[in-house]
Amino acid sequence: MAPLLEVRDLVTAYGTIEALKGVSLTVDKGSITCLLGPNGAGKTTLMFSITGILTPRRGSIRLAGADITGRSPSAVVGRGIALVPENRLVFPGMTVRDNLYAGAYQRRDRAGIEADVDRMLARFPVLQARVGQEAGTLSGGEQQMLAVARALMSRPTLLLMDEPSLGLAPLVVAEIFRIIAELNREGVSIFLVEQNAHLALQVAHHFYLMVQGLVTFSGDPGSLAEDEVIRRAYLGSA
Amino acid sequence: MLADLAQNTLDGLGAGASYAVLALGFTLVFGVLRLANLAYGPAIMLGAYAATWVSLHAPVPLLALAAITVAGSVAAGAYVERVCFAPHRRARAGSGPAGAAAMAAMVASFAVWMQLEEAATLALPRHLYAFPPLTTGPPLSLGPLALRMETPIGLGVAAAVCAALWWMLYRARFGLAVRAVIERPAAAGLSGIDVSRVSAAAFAVASSVGGVGGFLVAATHGQVTPHLGMWTTLKGMLAMMIGGLGSLPGAVAGGMVLGVLESHSQWYLGPQARDLTAYLLLFALLAWRSRGLARRG
Amino acid sequence: MDGYTVGVLTNIGLFSFLALSAYVLLVAGELSFGQQAFFGVGAYTAGVATAMFGWPLAAATAAAMALGGLAALLVGLSTLRLRGLYFAMATLAAAEMARILFELLRWQREVNGERVGPDGAQGFRGIRWVFEHGMEAGGFLALIYGVLSVLVTALLVLERSRLGATLRAVGLDPEQAAAVGIDIHRIKLGVVSAAGAVAALGGALYAHHNTYVEPRNFDIMLGVHALAYALVGGLGTALGPLLGVALDVGVLEGSQVFAGYRMIVFGGVVALLLVVRPRGLLDEQIVNALTRRGWGLR
Repeated sequence: MAPLLEVRDLVTAYGTIEALKGVSLTVDKGSITCLLGPNGAGKTTLMFSITGILTPRRGSIRLAGADITGRSPSAVVGRGIALVPENRLVFPGMTVRDNLYAGAYQRRDRAGIEADVDRMLARFPVLQARVGQEAGTLSGGEQQMLAVARALMSRPTLLLMDEPSLGLAPLVVAEIFRIIAELNREGVSIFLVEQNAHLALQVAHHFYLMVQGLVTFSGDPGSLAEDEVIRRAYLGSA
Repeated sequence: MLADLAQNTLDGLGAGASYAVLALGFTLVFGVLRLANLAYGPAIMLGAYAATWVSLHAPVPLLALAAITVAGSVAAGAYVERVCFAPHRRARAGSGPAGAAAMAAMVASFAVWMQLEEAATLALPRHLYAFPPLTTGPPLSLGPLALRMETPIGLGVAAAVCAALWWMLYRARFGLAVRAVIERPAAAGLSGIDVSRVSAAAFAVASSVGGVGGFLVAATHGQVTPHLGMWTTLKGMLAMMIGGLGSLPGAVAGGMVLGVLESHSQWYLGPQARDLTAYLLLFALLAWRSRGLARRG
Repeated sequence: MDGYTVGVLTNIGLFSFLALSAYVLLVAGELSFGQQAFFGVGAYTAGVATAMFGWPLAAATAAAMALGGLAALLVGLSTLRLRGLYFAMATLAAAEMARILFELLRWQREVNGERVGPDGAQGFRGIRWVFEHGMEAGGFLALIYGVLSVLVTALLVLERSRLGATLRAVGLDPEQAAAVGIDIHRIKLGVVSAAGAVAALGGALYAHHNTYVEPRNFDIMLGVHALAYALVGGLGTALGPLLGVALDVGVLEGSQVFAGYRMIVFGGVVALLLVVRPRGLLDEQIVNALTRRGWGLR
């Protein structure tokens, strides 16, 4: 079966500095795939390249066989990919409700959008409690929930998540990962960048290690001893 | 004495209506879109000049002239957006200090301001051109006071524009996109909003509001001059500042206050003093509000 | 040298002062639309000093610079805390106020049986210093460029000094500069005053060259041009604004190639240039590259 997302020999540069030096990986439909690696490895650059915020120099990105390399962010959303960015990036001056509406911007089915908003609020009760509040006043964990909910409003087939556990308390992180597993059971494919290798390996079906712009390892969670994974992920040794 | 006061106030409200619409446009551009667009007034002037040119060659109904003014302003505005703001938008969102890109955009806008002014004076070189007046016929008598029909018409237009803008910004899907783009352009893109399309469209809305204001100004004054670009900029900015930056109803109020203030100062102090008062007020407001408008950090 | 060339070169020289005035402010990170007001203050002050009170030109010019610097300082004190755009609007408002005040200024004295002095909107005639001292156009041209060279040399030296580097740091990254303890406000006030004095210097020379000034000379377009010259010529060196002036006044206007369309062309050039070179032609990058190669002298 052809993978849902296929990245091949991707090169993305900032001026003369190549942040991605030829990255190749795939995400299978219905799976949770995880990308681990130390800071500065280029994981966020990869996310931004897939979602069109950065334009790759070389290589290709295919979603369900269709080439989406270099498309604009809104076009990528239109194809069914949504990113929950590092640092959440909620709209601080807009209410929680408006943040959700923003996520559904490309959809025209009013009734469906309203139903989804209700579903999101039901799934994330903390948001229900703060639905009329400005998103900037929410705590880190609440903003993370909001960012996930906002991304889900576009009904993506592939959900990208960049470091969802960053800066959050363990209880909140556990909740986030519970939701990740739940979403996956409902059919959403997930590509996850994480620092927390331990938690990530518990949910992932497949994982990659990335160091200095290149994929150095690909395998299932059992294929490498966990402490070896962590060592490579944090210290970046090949 | 009292009759003078009342009459001046009434006249001031009439002028204030035009200022209110201009202020709405400026609030959209400077307050909501947060663009330092110095070519905004000149783009409005170009629209008014386009309508003037047409009116000189054919007897066109007022409503058509209004449409031409708006269309001209939107066209000029689109040019400004393309040349001055779109190219620097990427830089603002991505690398580099945000200040540098914003400064470059502002400077580019004043370069285009020079272009638009010269283009207008090349097309219509004289110092003054007649513009068909908004109303013909004598003013309405309200006891000892005279009510020029421009006043209620202008006030109605200002109220309508304000309401329409408010609805668009806070109730419509498009307004949601605009607010998202302004707050976090990167996140807006990730939510599926086409940032450049929405930015261009928002700019066009602001330009058309400016066009309406420009038409009101030209039709209530009955004339256009090459100074219209600078003039609308100063009046619009001043009214916007009086009303408080970023507030749509505030812009309308600011326009009214400015109109009444000018009307009174002209009556008691003469036209030069009137202009001096206006500039002094703008300067004083800026100096006084400087804490609120201070640079970040 | 024929009269026309002398005239063009004179204009280049005079506008250079104004362009340099806008330039130093830009280097410090501020956009000012009001430098023409200080140009006017310099013109009127020096004119009053020589034509109405018989002062020597040097003293009159010094007085002009002092007043220009002081006026600029006053404006700066009330406005320097404003963000870029609002500071620009404030300078615009201040400059227009100055112009209106020039229109209201009526002050005349009897000198040798004639009434001499500013006459409101009619302007200020009879600034006869050049006639009284038998200076021809060529001689005054030499004077202008002599003063300009001194100014430019001083600026170039300043740019190599620590003060110059501090100035640039304040302009390019004020947060960073503040973080290392630079008193941004004081520096900017100093720059604003200096810029005002430089503009006033140019104005003093301008008034004596033209022998007649009127308030209309000091309108917004003059200030806008000054800014454009600095921005196009480049913010990397004091020679940048001179390049900008030379390009517009010398090439565009002098060659009459785009007569009537000059602003459209120039404005277009500026806007497009800013997309690729936001800091002008002679920007910091180029200047660094050139000076590292020692201008080909090493």
